Amino acid sequence: MDAAVKTENEAKKLLTADDIADKKEKLTLPKVIIYIFLVLTAIVYIAPLLWVFNVSFKTNREIFSAPFALPQDITFDNYTFAWTAGKLGIATLNSFIVCVITLALSMIIGSMAAFGIGRLRWKGSKLAMTYFLTGMMIPVHCVLIPLFTRFAKLGLSNNLLGLILPYLTFALPITIFIMTGFFESMPNELIECACMEGANLFQIFFEICLPLGKTGLFVTGLMTFIGNWNELLLAMVFISDDAKKTLPVSLSKFVGPYNTNYSQMFAAIIIAIIPTIIVYCAFSNQIVDGLTAGAVKG
Amino acid sequence: MDKLLRNKKAIVIFMAPAFILFTLVLFVPICQSVYYSFCEYKGITAPKFIGLANYKALLTDKTLGFAIKNSIFFLVFSCVSQLIMGLFLAALLTNIKKGRNLFKNIIYLPCVLSSAALGLLWMFIFSPKLGINQLLEKMGVEGPLWLMDTKGFIILPMWVIAFVSLWQYVGQSMMLYMAQISGISKSLFEASYIDGCTKPQTFWHITLPLIRPMVATAMSLNAIGSLKFFDLIFNMTEGGPNHRTEVLATHLYQQGFKYFKYGYASAIGVLLLIMCLLVTLFINKVVKTEQYEM
Repeated sequence: MDAAVKTENEAKKLLTADDIADKKEKLTLPKVIIYIFLVLTAIVYIAPLLWVFNVSFKTNREIFSAPFALPQDITFDNYTFAWTAGKLGIATLNSFIVCVITLALSMIIGSMAAFGIGRLRWKGSKLAMTYFLTGMMIPVHCVLIPLFTRFAKLGLSNNLLGLILPYLTFALPITIFIMTGFFESMPNELIECACMEGANLFQIFFEICLPLGKTGLFVTGLMTFIGNWNELLLAMVFISDDAKKTLPVSLSKFVGPYNTNYSQMFAAIIIAIIPTIIVYCAFSNQIVDGLTAGAVKG
Repeated sequence: MDKLLRNKKAIVIFMAPAFILFTLVLFVPICQSVYYSFCEYKGITAPKFIGLANYKALLTDKTLGFAIKNSIFFLVFSCVSQLIMGLFLAALLTNIKKGRNLFKNIIYLPCVLSSAALGLLWMFIFSPKLGINQLLEKMGVEGPLWLMDTKGFIILPMWVIAFVSLWQYVGQSMMLYMAQISGISKSLFEASYIDGCTKPQTFWHITLPLIRPMVATAMSLNAIGSLKFFDLIFNMTEGGPNHRTEVLATHLYQQGFKYFKYGYASAIGVLLLIMCLLVTLFINKVVKTEQYEM
């Protein structure tokens, strides 16, 4: 056994030796140029965010007298003002409610339809898929006016439900598309087995197919949530009551040319993007890979 | 089992919710929108059929001229710039090992952030007395009015907004190309090195042809995205100065929900829809060629 461990260690050593050779070879001039270029790019990406973060702690006068210095004393007054008077607190809550409900419904309804298309056997399944896929090409602007007038008649304007319905609908095509792929790739034997055990369709769907399609659900859920969390146009048109606005709308209203207190507006911007940044930092690899997988399949 | 999977009732239950939602919230409104575009419809009164009058009005609308010009500018700019920058960054990142994930994640970050918030952020950075101009002032240069200048065929604010949109979305294209490049078999590259290819040659003759299908996908994503462009412009310039940075989406919003010309705004919507469909068809016809074995 010792010998085995020894050879394993040796193998590891060899590997690291290889790596070192690799690294030595890597530090050529082109590599250095690549790194310099990438670092500059990274600065272009991070500097604006850092600037806003820094300025959001300053007073209005400091922004103009010492724009790039660190703030003299750190206060959270700007943040509390934006959170309460800017109504960003309630807006965050609204955004959260809308996004979570949309997420849950789109996952269930979307994967049910995907199961119907990918697994159930009927003649129109291909046609149904085409029907849903055309939805991906349609810009939301085209349905804005009919939806707005219809919802006004139904009492759905100024109502979070009036946002959830279109968000849900626009999330369905991508959900159905990705989940159908997952369900189609599952082995037939699984379902045959379940059938012989006497499971009904709903058991097969909820207890076998859905748990196996977790990765797909994660990807589509992520795309749905991020997309809806950031959506501005529909929310701006459908909701005019301050207490029901979502985060991007309240932010766009609070931060505008008529407000002259810059530091409060900067604090508001930070409030709006910091939750996403924190979540992104924690799960960046899964998020990036997941979103790419979704886009590739789309 | 076959009987179970062909159960008509089950099929209806599984398909109905999505189908009903899709039809009621997407397809019926689209048809209505096309109908409204032929109507005089100002919100309070019922829509009244007036034939092609809205479309005729489109032809003489000066703001719409700006909007179409700007939308096409965004379309071309974002397709070209994202293709070049995305491929370039993807090529650089696939060539390094250390820090690849870090750089990848940093460049992708703005894609998941709210473009409304980022638009406001950049609006301040490019505002007359803050951000970049403060930096320029320190260096003794007087900065231009980034978002208010109106000189030239494509005015400065359009370039600024185009830059910001490139900054925000290039991560998406980069990731798509990276995914495709890392899917190419290593033996192909080795073979080309043995045959004496340099790295740029390999990129040109092996990588590029192999990722062509992905170029089509990424480009149509960019193209549709740039036609739908709303948040950044709305929060950076609101279509100003003097409607010079208006695009189709902002013009539709102004006409529909500021002046309540629903019929006219619907005509703009139909125009947008047609442009989206045409561009997608065009890109898929031109760029997508045969798929290679990888």
